[in-house]
Amino acid sequence: MITLTVDDRTIQAPDGSSVLSACLSAGIIIPHLCWMETDSPAGAPAACRLCLVEIDGFRDPVTACTVPVENGMTVYTGTEVVRSLQKMAFKLLLSVHRVDCKHCPANKACALQDIAKFLGVGLGCKPFERVLKEPEVDTHHPVFDYYPNRCVLCGLCVRICRQRHRQPQLSFAGRGFETVVGYFDADPLAAANCVSCRECLAVCPTGALVERTAFEGSTRGNS
Amino acid sequence: MEHSLTAEDQAHLEILQTQIKSSPKGRGQLIPLLQMAQKALGYLPDDALSLVADHLSVTRSEVYGVASFYNQFRFNPPGKNPVKVCMGTACHVRGGEIILENFERKLEIREGETTEDREFSIERVACVGCCALAPVALMGEILHGHMAPSKVEGLVLQVRLEKEKAQREAAK
Amino acid sequence: MMTGDAVNRVLAAYQAIADEARARREQFEKSPLPKIHIGMATCGIASGALETQAAFEAALADRGIEALIHTVGCVGHCYAEPVVIIDHPDSGFPPIFYPEVTPGKAKMLVKLFLEEGDPRFEHVMGATVENEMIPSVMEFARFNREKRVIMERCGRIDPDQIHEYIAEGGYGALTTALCRKPETVIDEIEAAGLRGRGGAGFPTARKWRAARAASGSDKMIVCNADEGDPGAYMDRTLLESNPHQVIEGMIIAALAVGAARGLFYVRAEYPLAVRILTTAVEQARELGFLGTDILGSGLDFDIDLFQGSGAFVCGEETALIRSVEGYRGMPRHRPPYPVEQGIDGRPTVINNVKTLATIPPIVEKGADWFRAIGTAGSPGTAVFSVVGNVTHPGLVEIPMGVTLRDLIFDICGGIPDKKRFKAVQIGGPSGGCLSADFLDTPVDFDALTRAGAMMGSGGMVVMDEDVCMVDVSRYFLDFTQKESCGKCTFCRIGTRHLLDILRRLTRGEGREGDLEQLETLSRAVKQGSLCGLGKTAPNPVLTSLAYFRDEYEAHFKEGRCPSCACRALTAFFIDLDKCARGCDACVGCCPVEAVFTTSNRKKGIDQQLCVKCGECVVACPPDYDAVEKVSPAALVPIIERPPEKNKAES
Repeated sequence: MITLTVDDRTIQAPDGSSVLSACLSAGIIIPHLCWMETDSPAGAPAACRLCLVEIDGFRDPVTACTVPVENGMTVYTGTEVVRSLQKMAFKLLLSVHRVDCKHCPANKACALQDIAKFLGVGLGCKPFERVLKEPEVDTHHPVFDYYPNRCVLCGLCVRICRQRHRQPQLSFAGRGFETVVGYFDADPLAAANCVSCRECLAVCPTGALVERTAFEGSTRGNS
Repeated sequence: MEHSLTAEDQAHLEILQTQIKSSPKGRGQLIPLLQMAQKALGYLPDDALSLVADHLSVTRSEVYGVASFYNQFRFNPPGKNPVKVCMGTACHVRGGEIILENFERKLEIREGETTEDREFSIERVACVGCCALAPVALMGEILHGHMAPSKVEGLVLQVRLEKEKAQREAAK
Repeated sequence: MMTGDAVNRVLAAYQAIADEARARREQFEKSPLPKIHIGMATCGIASGALETQAAFEAALADRGIEALIHTVGCVGHCYAEPVVIIDHPDSGFPPIFYPEVTPGKAKMLVKLFLEEGDPRFEHVMGATVENEMIPSVMEFARFNREKRVIMERCGRIDPDQIHEYIAEGGYGALTTALCRKPETVIDEIEAAGLRGRGGAGFPTARKWRAARAASGSDKMIVCNADEGDPGAYMDRTLLESNPHQVIEGMIIAALAVGAARGLFYVRAEYPLAVRILTTAVEQARELGFLGTDILGSGLDFDIDLFQGSGAFVCGEETALIRSVEGYRGMPRHRPPYPVEQGIDGRPTVINNVKTLATIPPIVEKGADWFRAIGTAGSPGTAVFSVVGNVTHPGLVEIPMGVTLRDLIFDICGGIPDKKRFKAVQIGGPSGGCLSADFLDTPVDFDALTRAGAMMGSGGMVVMDEDVCMVDVSRYFLDFTQKESCGKCTFCRIGTRHLLDILRRLTRGEGREGDLEQLETLSRAVKQGSLCGLGKTAPNPVLTSLAYFRDEYEAHFKEGRCPSCACRALTAFFIDLDKCARGCDACVGCCPVEAVFTTSNRKKGIDQQLCVKCGECVVACPPDYDAVEKVSPAALVPIIERPPEKNKAES
C-alpha cells in the first residue's frame, strides 16, 4: 500500500492506482465525468478535465486520473486554481448543454447537477453564449435515442461498448466541436447488430442516451 | 447518404473490391484502405465503407468514426474539377478568403458543395505549402499561385470552354 | 560493435557504391555540353517549371543544340521561381543563376546564350561561384547570410537520383555510424546538443537514449512529416529536394536506438513528396542501405510510408500513433511516452524531418563542428519559411541566434511596396505574433519562447501595416478550433468560444468584458487542455492582446479596424479628385459589377454590391491611386449612382 496526504488527510491506496481512485475510495470527492473504475493512470482518457488537483512537485494542476499514487505525495484537491479551472470547464460543458432538467430523464440523477452542487455554481454559462447542435435528437438507433445537446462526450458509452463486445457498435464520429456519439452516420442497419445489452444507457451520466419504449420503437422503425 | 451510385461508381466499386480483397489485413490498414477507396471513387460512399469494414472485420460505425475524423475523407462526390482553396496563413494574409468567395460566387455553390452538373466542387484546404506563391488555389491537381479574383473567372471559364469544345468535337 | 572483418566489409561495400556514384557524377560534370538545372519542387512546378522545361527542350530541338537538362529540387528562393541555373562552359562564363525563367525567357536564353554566347545580363541574378566576369549571388545577403546544414544539397542534386547524393558524400555518415557502437553515436548527438526541430526543442539524444533503454525488441523510428502548420513548408521541400539525407538520418537513428522498422508519416496533401520519397526508399534498398544485412553489417532496417489523412493534431506524437494504428487521431496523456509505449505498444522514436536531416552532417563532421554553429543553448541552424508581406519569401537556413531584424530585413529584403512592418508570426497556430519591439530578438528556441512565440516548425509569416492583428487571431483560432480533435473540454469548447468572441470583434459587435473574457478563457484553455494543440492554441490571442491591445480596443470601442482589413468594418471608395476621367481599369476587374461611372465620367463604388475584395485597388493605375479604404465603414463618402438610361428595371 502507498501512503499519501490529501488535503491534510493521510490516506492509503494500492500501488499503481491513480490519485483520483485513491481519493474517491477514501471518500474525498473530486468531480469527474470520463473516468471508469477500471482505468489505470496510463489508460485514463483524461478528457473531461474536471479532476484537476495540485500536487507538490508539479508546477501546474494535473488530472488526478492520470497520476499514479506515490509514497509521501501531497495532494490538494480544493485550491483556488483548481476550483477556478473546474468551474471554467464545467461552464464550458454547460455552454453546449440544453439545460431543461424538468424534461430530462436524468433529472436528479445527473452528474452535471451533482457537480454544480459540489462546486456551488448554477447551471448558467454566462458570459458564454449557449451553442447547441442540430438536430436536437437522433432517433435512428433501434434501441435508444441520442440527444447531442445533453451529451458531454465523456465517452463512457463508447468505451463500455468496446469493453463488452469485441466489435463495438458505438463510436465517436466527426471531429472537434462537431464530435458526436455515432453509429455509421445514423444508418439504422449498421446498428442492427446491437445486442441491446443496454450497458451504454446505464453508464451515461447525463441522459444523452434514452431508451426508447417498445411502442415508440415500432412506430419509428416503420418511418 | 443521399447520393445514389452512378454506373461509373459501380464499376469503380467492383475494381476496388478486388483491390481490397488482395490487401493485407490488420487494424493498421484502415486508413490506407480508406485512402485507396477514396482514390478509386473520389469519395467514400456507404458501400465503400462497408467493403473496408468487412475486410478488416471491424464494424461500420468504427470505420465511419475514423473516416469522419480526418479532413481527407469526403462522403459526397467531388466535381470533375475539384477546386481547393488554400487557407494557410500566408494565403490568409494575402486574401485567400476573397479567392474562396469568388469561386463560391462564380460557381454558385458554397464551400463543401458540388455543382449540379458535377463539374466543380469547392473545398478549403489547410496549407498546401506553397506559401511564397500566396494566395494559392488548386484546380484538380494543378496548383495556381498568385491568385486574384480575375484569375478565378479565367480558370472557370477555361474549363467551361474546354468542355464546350469537347462537346462540339464529339458532336461532329 | 562489429568485428574488424565486418567493418572492412561495410567500408568496402560503401567504397564500391561511392566510386560508381562519383564516376557517374563526374561524367556529367566533365561533359562539355551546357547544363540547364531547373528547380522542380512543388513551388517551382506551381510557378511553371514544367512549362519552362518543355520550352527549353523544344527550343534546343528547334535549334539543334545539345544540352543536358538536370531537374533538381528547391533552392529555397521561392520568390524567384522558376529558378534555372545555366552552366555553359564553352561560353567562358561561370554557371549563372536566372530567376523567373518563363517559357519565353527559356527560348530566348537558348538562342542568345547557348547559341550566341550572350548571357543577357539584364536577366541574371548572379553567378553561382566567385569569378571576374559576373557578380556572384554570394554578394546578396539572401545568399551569404545563410548557413546550410540541413538544406545544403537542396536544389543542387536530382532527388530522384541516389547516386547524386552519394557522389556528394551521401551515406558516408551511415557507414561511419555502422562502424561505431550505438552508444557512441548517441554520445556524439548529445555532445552536439541537437534539439528536436519539430517545435519544442527536446534534446534528441535524450529521446534516443530512453528508447534504447526501453525494453521490447520491436522498436520503431517514425519520421514526422505531417507538416500541418499553415505557413510552414520546409519539411515538404526537404523531402522533395533531398530525401536521402532524411533517410540516412533515419537509418542512423535506427542503429542508435536498435530499431528494425521505420515509418515516414507524410501528409497526403504532399503528393510529390510522397512520390519522391517512395522512389528514394526503393533506390536506397536496391543499393543495400535499407533491408536486411545493411552493407554487410548484419543489421536490418527497413522503411514504410504512411500517408497522414489531414488532421493537424496528428503532428502531436500520441495522436500520430493512434492514426497509424488505424484509429481516430486523438492524443492521450503522457506518460507513458512513445519511447516506452508507441505504435502498437512498441517503443517508438518520433523525430521531425529536419532533426533527422541534421544527423548525417553531425556524424560526419562531429559535435564540435555543430556546436560552433548557432548559440550555446540552441546549436546548429534553423530553417524558416519566411512568407507573407516580405520581398523575398522562401526558405532560409540560418545559424541560430540571428536576429529577427536581420532575417526579415537583410536576408529577406524587408517589406514590399514601401509599407511598414507590423508584426511577425512565428510558430504557426501554436506560436505568437511579435511586434516591432521584438525585432532584435535572436532566433533560438529559448529566446522565442521567452518572447511569447515559439520556434514551432519554423513558419514565419511577416505582416505589414495592412494586416489586422485581431483578424489574424481570429484566423488562427478558426484554424485550431476546426482542428481540435474534440476529446478534451477546454480545447473542444474553449477554442470555440474564443473564436466566437474574436468573430464578434472583427464584425464590430464586441461586448463589454469581451477582452477580459478572451484573456481569462485563453489562460484556462492553456492550463487545462490535454495536449500541445490545446495548450498552445491561445498563444496567438495572448501575444496579440499583449502587444497590440490598442487594435483590439479600436475594434471593440469604435467599431474601427485600424488596418482597414476587417471587411465588415471597412468600406472602399474612389477619391474623385484622383480618379481619371474615362479610365475603366476598376470597372473590368470588379467581380460583382459594383463600380459605376459617375455623371462626369469618373467612377464610384456601389456600397451595397461591393464585396471588398480589393481588386480595384490593384487595378487602379499607380499614377492615380484613387481607390481608398476607410474604417468604420459609415465614414465612406456617398457617391450616388446615376440612374441607368437604357436598362429596364428587373
